[in-house]
Amino acid sequence: MPRSIWNGTITLGFIAVPVKVSSAVQDKAVHFHQVHAADGVRIKQRRVCSKEGKEVPYKEVAKGYEVSGGEYVLLSAEEIAAAAGDRAHRVNLEEFVCACDIDPDFFARTYYLGAGADGEAAYRLLHDALARTGRAGIGRWVFHNREYLVAVRAYDDVLTLHTMRLANELVAPGDFDIPKPSRAPNKREAEMATALVDSLHEPFKPAAFKDTYREALMALIKRKAKGEEIEIPEPAEPGEAPDLLAALEASLSDGKRPSQTKSRASKSKASKASKASKASKASKASTAKSQSATKSGTSKTSKSRSSRKAKR
Amino acid sequence: MARSLWTGSLSFGLVNVPVAMYSGVRDVDLHFRQLHAKDAAPIDVQRWCPQDDAEVPYEEITHAYELNSGKQVIVSDEELEAAQPKRTRTIDIEQFVDASDVDPVSFNHPYVLVPTSEDDGAAWAYRLLVQVMESTGRAAVGRVVLRAKEYLAIIRPRDGALALTTMYFADEIRSPKDVEAATQKKHRPTPEQLDVAVAVIEELSEDWDPKRYTDGYRKRLQQVVARKRKGETVTAPAAEDQPPPAPDLMEALERTLAALSAKS
Repeated sequence: MPRSIWNGTITLGFIAVPVKVSSAVQDKAVHFHQVHAADGVRIKQRRVCSKEGKEVPYKEVAKGYEVSGGEYVLLSAEEIAAAAGDRAHRVNLEEFVCACDIDPDFFARTYYLGAGADGEAAYRLLHDALARTGRAGIGRWVFHNREYLVAVRAYDDVLTLHTMRLANELVAPGDFDIPKPSRAPNKREAEMATALVDSLHEPFKPAAFKDTYREALMALIKRKAKGEEIEIPEPAEPGEAPDLLAALEASLSDGKRPSQTKSRASKSKASKASKASKASKASKASTAKSQSATKSGTSKTSKSRSSRKAKR
Repeated sequence: MARSLWTGSLSFGLVNVPVAMYSGVRDVDLHFRQLHAKDAAPIDVQRWCPQDDAEVPYEEITHAYELNSGKQVIVSDEELEAAQPKRTRTIDIEQFVDASDVDPVSFNHPYVLVPTSEDDGAAWAYRLLVQVMESTGRAAVGRVVLRAKEYLAIIRPRDGALALTTMYFADEIRSPKDVEAATQKKHRPTPEQLDVAVAVIEELSEDWDPKRYTDGYRKRLQQVVARKRKGETVTAPAAEDQPPPAPDLMEALERTLAALSAKS
């Protein structure tokens, strides 16, 4: 049983569902800590008063909000809590929406709700009604002195609670400057791309995806611990597909992935042919396009490009 | 425009599009600064080496992993990338899925992918990918390595751009089977109870319109700051009592439905 981090009640009209909240995710990231490169000693965070220049113990730290340059309003934990309101133990489901209408970007964190004492039947009832309607209940949740918009839905046999991002917190993709191509993809290209999408279309099975990076990173750490030298990869990767149309054709006939065997056997001839044409086109195009392609993939792309520009 | 958090290439079949990844979330929170309570002076946080008893400049800091034995292994940023160089620089589209197949439990953080190359072909390939996902209604699944952590990611078109949402791997989602979910037969609702509960939900149903939900908390927090600035005392209201479970579920359901019908 996961540890509960909040106990309270979900209400829907006169129905009260006592619940225990626990996190639905467990962090499996490989964690590092900061060390001083010179002596390998672990770095400590030290709080220093900017006026006295002396270390400040944690109990003497207050929170301040800067209202104008250098002028702070000091707030205690209780004053911050005042903004959260009085609903510290209750989430009222005010309305219901179709869970499938909510864009993934709105979901922030996921928690499981466990049934609390004497509320098992109410828990089951809310779960089954949400499962049948496919709806999510929307409410507000006060957690750690802060209010969140939340959605409560049925998942498997349990109720989940999702904290939600608000519309004004999301950046509209339209705010970004997306370069327009000089010509739009034509019908044949769109058909080819659709065929490629179809050939790679499968039901989503999350368990089929393993975090291979985590394993590789742990293996690397163990090698390093044994004193082995780690080879640093070349920072740049050559552009693989200078002729995009040829690449699209090649990916279609090649399938690219060995697991996509459906259409592979019958098309192996075509694959060879298009590979050959791709290779010849690639060699022609590589000289012209390699400039923009060589540096892609490094974290310094934009910087190095602009510096090269400056030199020219 | 904010800084990009990752640059690399998005690969679709053998087509590679150089892209930069930006956060899809804007920080609208009120930020507090740590102050020394005594003199209200801002507190600086220093990185400190206890052995040298001195502050350490950022360039002299590296990262170490602590083994179970307590031994530390220093791993540089370049070595981090060496674990899987291709993975760290490429988002490989591994399959296309129906977006509705992906359960929201695994969603983590939204990003936007923007083409970085001035190359016309890259803009064309990006446009093609947006267009084909719009017309097929499918989303792409791949993975991305960010700050030494690999994420599963779903990519879909939005307003002519590609939106990417990172997801947790299946083994990072706790099993719902470990949660007390009152699944015993005796807790199961009767068909009548379920019908009334569904009717209550339908009565309260609305179309999903995210703009309707405003940030009341942030506004109240701003008010607290304003009142405090004027010298007022601010106290937190006493927490409301928890409503007890209804002794008769059917009666509570009918009372709820009656109250809702009376309102509408």
